[in-house]
Amino acid sequence: MAPPMIDPALFDQLKSNIEEDTSVRKALDQILDDLNQHVSFTQGVLSRIHSTPRSKYAALLEQVEGGIKKEIETVGKLSAFASQYPYYKYNHKWTRMVQDAISTALLCSWLGGMSTESKPGEIGRLLTLEDVGSVFGIPVNLKDRDAFHITIEEYLLGLISVIDELGRLSVNSVTLGDNAMAVQISGFVKDLHAGFQVLNLKNDILRKRVDSIKYAVKKVEDVVYDLSLRNLIPAQDSK
Amino acid sequence: MGDKQLPEKTPLDRKTSDYTMSGFKRDWNGNAKRRDGPKPAQRQVVRNAYTPMFEQLRNELDEHHDRRERIVKASRDITALSKKMTLTLCIVISVRNIESQLPANIQAEVDSRLAEIAKLLAAIAPEIQGINRYRYSRSLMCLEELVEALTFAHYLKTQTLISHDQLSPIVEELARQGAASEDEVMTDARDTPATPPKPRQAEAPKVSLTQDDYLYGVFDLTGEMMRFATTSTALTGTMASGVTGDGDDTPRTIVQDMHELGSFFEMLPVVPGNRFAWEKKLDITRQSVQKVERLGYDRIIRGSERPKGWLPDLSSADQGQSEELE
Repeated sequence: MAPPMIDPALFDQLKSNIEEDTSVRKALDQILDDLNQHVSFTQGVLSRIHSTPRSKYAALLEQVEGGIKKEIETVGKLSAFASQYPYYKYNHKWTRMVQDAISTALLCSWLGGMSTESKPGEIGRLLTLEDVGSVFGIPVNLKDRDAFHITIEEYLLGLISVIDELGRLSVNSVTLGDNAMAVQISGFVKDLHAGFQVLNLKNDILRKRVDSIKYAVKKVEDVVYDLSLRNLIPAQDSK
Repeated sequence: MGDKQLPEKTPLDRKTSDYTMSGFKRDWNGNAKRRDGPKPAQRQVVRNAYTPMFEQLRNELDEHHDRRERIVKASRDITALSKKMTLTLCIVISVRNIESQLPANIQAEVDSRLAEIAKLLAAIAPEIQGINRYRYSRSLMCLEELVEALTFAHYLKTQTLISHDQLSPIVEELARQGAASEDEVMTDARDTPATPPKPRQAEAPKVSLTQDDYLYGVFDLTGEMMRFATTSTALTGTMASGVTGDGDDTPRTIVQDMHELGSFFEMLPVVPGNRFAWEKKLDITRQSVQKVERLGYDRIIRGSERPKGWLPDLSSADQGQSEELE
């Protein structure tokens, strides 16, 4: 009888490779379940900014920073595990959760949290991509080596989530009587919208999400219009 | 006091509103179109504290998109060349059994296609090193087509399935050959590794073949084997099989090979990550196996009929068939 078409060793090799791939994904799923819980908790605490006056942000942000600290620990574990394999082979599994974690850090710092020795916390502070990397202890935009890192797309998509959240906050801050906050949010959102116009976007998820920024811009502009119509813009800001 | 504030605020709001409402027209590449007249000046005015950050991010993203587009273009060309190679092998080889050497003219055409593919692989090899190899995996679907063509050629020569470990060096050598510009003539990819590589060629970046490229390429091979079985049976009246030197052994036919390949994929665990694509390929493979089975069945049933009073035709083709009939 002629030798078989397929070498039995080939089957064994492919089978073991596929099984290893499966076990890697299962291990990632466990880490990402933890990360998902921490992100959800942090987002839940942050949702209280819509019913908390500015004077009580400090206590709230302390809880948020506690949640972010847990996120940082879990992302550290994810980084240690994922760096053993090609980054882009599995990054679709975690990219959404990393975006959400980034958005919680960005929103917390904008509200005055995440202060460090060199950069005190103040309302309106935007973390850059490098700042986010140092917060999480993760490299950003890696090119020279293949390891876990935060990509530009993840940072930008996280930033867009923050813009949506601030659009909502501008409405609720007026309800809470904090008109200056609404004005500040309006300026910030419009500045970022101008910044996003600088990008040359292709037809991908980033472009779809950037297109939604204009609705947040309209929302914050409507709020400022309503305030100015009723002469409610804080005097010192208009000067 | 209040009356003064309103006029001061309104112009600013109107200006910003005009800027927002105008929007940006985009060409088919997605780039913002240039505008004439005062509007560019209007755009330039809108700079703020965040603009430098966004400009840096824009440069990074543009670099990524340009690289992806270059890879996609080369990938399309490699796909087309691989399909032509496969078509050449399938159509022209159908008139004969599986033998160790391809006819000279077929080999020449295959070699010329491989030479073009080698140049394209060499052109994109620097772009897909390190972390970028998996970043652009979806843009490198051409490697599946290349695997299909190379595994099919190997099968037609040896009646065996070339393994991933054997195929990877061949693909890597293709990229090296393409990088060696002075070596315009491409010998058979399988013969080339025998020659010692030049030191400079060893430095050329590789194009690594992932396991998924290999597996999905072999899935496509089942389709080519089904097509080969159909055309060769139609043209020769017999199932394609290998030529065996030992008279005692019965040559293995393509039906048995299809069975083995089908069982191979049925037994493999489902590749995680893209379960839907795998199931779809597996279903198509099952259909191909059943078609070839039907082919073998039809040949046995109908081929053995000898209607009473049948007279052989005097043409050479019919005489050839009658000789081959059992």
